[in-house]
Amino acid sequence: MNARPPLRRGLLAVLATAALVLGAAAAAAAPGHPSGHSVTARPAPTAQARAAAATATCNPKASSLRPAGPPQVTSGSFMAKIRARGYLIAGVDQSTYHFGFLNPLDGQIEGFDIDMIRAVAQAIFGNPDKVRFKAISDAQRIPDVTSGAVDIVAHTMTITCARLQQVDFSTVYFDAAQRVLVLKNSAATDLAGLAGQKVCATIGSDSLAVISAAKATAVAVPYWTDCLVLLQQGDVAAISTDDSILSGLAAQDPWTKLIGPRLTDEPYGLAISRQHPDFVRFVNAVLAQLRTNGRWAASYAHWVGTPVPAPPPAEYGG
Amino acid sequence: MTSSVGVSPGPGARAPGARTPGARAPAARGAWWRPRTTPARLRLLLAVLVVLSLAWGVVAGLTANLHASAAASVVAVSEPLSLDAEQIYQSLSDADATAANAFLAGGLEPAAARQQYNADITQAAVRIEAASALVGSSAARTQLPGPRAARAGDGSAIGDDLATLSAELPVYAGEAGTARADNRLGLPLGAAYLREASALMRGTLLPAASDIYTRESRQLTGSSAQATGLPFIVVAVLIGLGVGYLLYRASRWLARRTRRVVNYGLLLAALAGTVSLVWLGGAFAAGRADLLHAQQAGSGPAQAFARADVAALQAHADESLTLVDNSGDDSYQQDFLAQAKLLGPGPGTLLAAVGPSGGGISADAEAWYQAHRQLRALDNGGNHPAAVQSALSGQAAAKFALLSSALSRGVDTSQAVFATRARQGRDALTALPAGMIVAGLLMAVGCAWGLSRRLAEYR
Repeated sequence: MNARPPLRRGLLAVLATAALVLGAAAAAAAPGHPSGHSVTARPAPTAQARAAAATATCNPKASSLRPAGPPQVTSGSFMAKIRARGYLIAGVDQSTYHFGFLNPLDGQIEGFDIDMIRAVAQAIFGNPDKVRFKAISDAQRIPDVTSGAVDIVAHTMTITCARLQQVDFSTVYFDAAQRVLVLKNSAATDLAGLAGQKVCATIGSDSLAVISAAKATAVAVPYWTDCLVLLQQGDVAAISTDDSILSGLAAQDPWTKLIGPRLTDEPYGLAISRQHPDFVRFVNAVLAQLRTNGRWAASYAHWVGTPVPAPPPAEYGG
Repeated sequence: MTSSVGVSPGPGARAPGARTPGARAPAARGAWWRPRTTPARLRLLLAVLVVLSLAWGVVAGLTANLHASAAASVVAVSEPLSLDAEQIYQSLSDADATAANAFLAGGLEPAAARQQYNADITQAAVRIEAASALVGSSAARTQLPGPRAARAGDGSAIGDDLATLSAELPVYAGEAGTARADNRLGLPLGAAYLREASALMRGTLLPAASDIYTRESRQLTGSSAQATGLPFIVVAVLIGLGVGYLLYRASRWLARRTRRVVNYGLLLAALAGTVSLVWLGGAFAAGRADLLHAQQAGSGPAQAFARADVAALQAHADESLTLVDNSGDDSYQQDFLAQAKLLGPGPGTLLAAVGPSGGGISADAEAWYQAHRQLRALDNGGNHPAAVQSALSGQAAAKFALLSSALSRGVDTSQAVFATRARQGRDALTALPAGMIVAGLLMAVGCAWGLSRRLAEYR
């Protein structure tokens, strides 16, 4: 790739600049986020002020609705409407290996997130295939849920207090944490050791703020796989984001390794419109079954690997 | 033999420095351009007519050469260069579209798609090399690493663009290859490499190819305008008519002076002059008509077809990339819509520019857009595999193939018209410069012969 340094450098300079701007913007848009650091002090409009106020009492891991019992499609419920329609509409990722990705071998979207959705479809229809997957970007997740374009989002989505102002979440179905992926020959042992070097994350992700806080130069690209391209081509020194995503990247390149401690806590939840608390309770009931009947562990073993930890405990806020 | 009117020169009659034979006659005293004796006048006339004849030969020959060499450069340099530029542009666009489309098939890439991609890359590489050689030979200044100001010309800009293409094409092919290899392993990383390759193609390679094409088309138009331009030929014809008029006046004067109706020497000169004038005018008119037709029915439509084809290819790549990407980010679909708007049909679009044959092609384009809308509906409705099938081998693929082959045919047909007529135009002018010089010489010989016969009668 020596043939291209001028272009690359130009591109990276633009990306790095964009990263700083976008990182700041992302942080500003999510003032209550645990990894938002000092940016929470930013002057905020009313909606953000409310979100910030809620932060004081918010526990992202214990804010979901308690199910009444095993999942049941009661008449008049949102689940009944979905059943009448004939399929569940799920907003998913299609480029995050092992969580939500389009398998080029069979053209199907697969992954750990997808398994959760299929379990919900199974509970509604008795058939895990009654799902229409809509591949959406990170930025589309909340708008698509609030507009009703999708019934549910399974998209490596961290439950945050700011997001809880806009959408409801299921209980935590996966415990992720921001970590760092480097090439196997890298001498770095953690993010602090990469200060001054280029570290890649996606545009609009919370990971950018953590990278900038560690004094590394954030490089923002549209997709996580784009980060791996830059890492393979030697244009960035590392990639930093949720370990779930990083392990998916590591699975595509055996010459990479995960380093450093858990930098943040990223509890994943399934996002559902605040209009449908009945559906939130229903999904929580499905997740409760998965935790105990071994299907959660089986999915984990299949997509993430062994040893399989205990599933994140279900905690409810209401 | 003594001259019948020869008078021995009187002392002091000799003008200082006058060494011409006419100076021998005291009657020829006065300005040299107004000799009073007939032989002296004849001698002066002879000199003037010979000089005018030769001057006509030179003026007509130079004018003919100006146009003939411009026409030859249209055929020998501009045409092949612009053909190379167009082929580079089309091959690269086609490679981008083919790579993206074949990617949809996963590991079992259709053999035809693979062959077409390879042929596109080879074609582009060969044409880049050929164009570099042509540019290098036609404009040595491209080789000079001089200051920026000195490199402002089209030639050096084309050289820079070609250097960019030569440097980036292997990088593109490398990324496309990595994309294919990762895709074969079932890794989503392949799509990232494909996006990267496509971004390089669209951000760097295609703009360079487009720039070369634009500049080449401009140079072609310039050479053609030089070959068909009127000012020089009008001046030359006026000079020719002037010479003819003087010749006519000279023969009239001679006829009165010598009481002979016909002077065969001057007649020969007049004939040669008339023939050369008619030949110059006729050949130029014929060559000009051919070259103008080559432009209007050849290179003009060929450019319009090529532009339309490239827009269609880019939209086709967008269609595939939207399916490859499928992440809710609709930037490729937005680009598809932008390219479709550019392509037309409709007033001011690229299809409107291809001329009367655009009707059937417009229908082809509409049919493809229709198939594309169905494909998007399938994909947005959650039926990704059916959408992929449509793009790979279904309706969308078939309709695009119709459109693309119609546009390629348009390019080829127009290019053939251009090549034929431009060659005819060049051939009409080829013998002209030499012919004009021979005619000038013939006129000079005729005048000299005709007048020296009269002059001889005074000796």
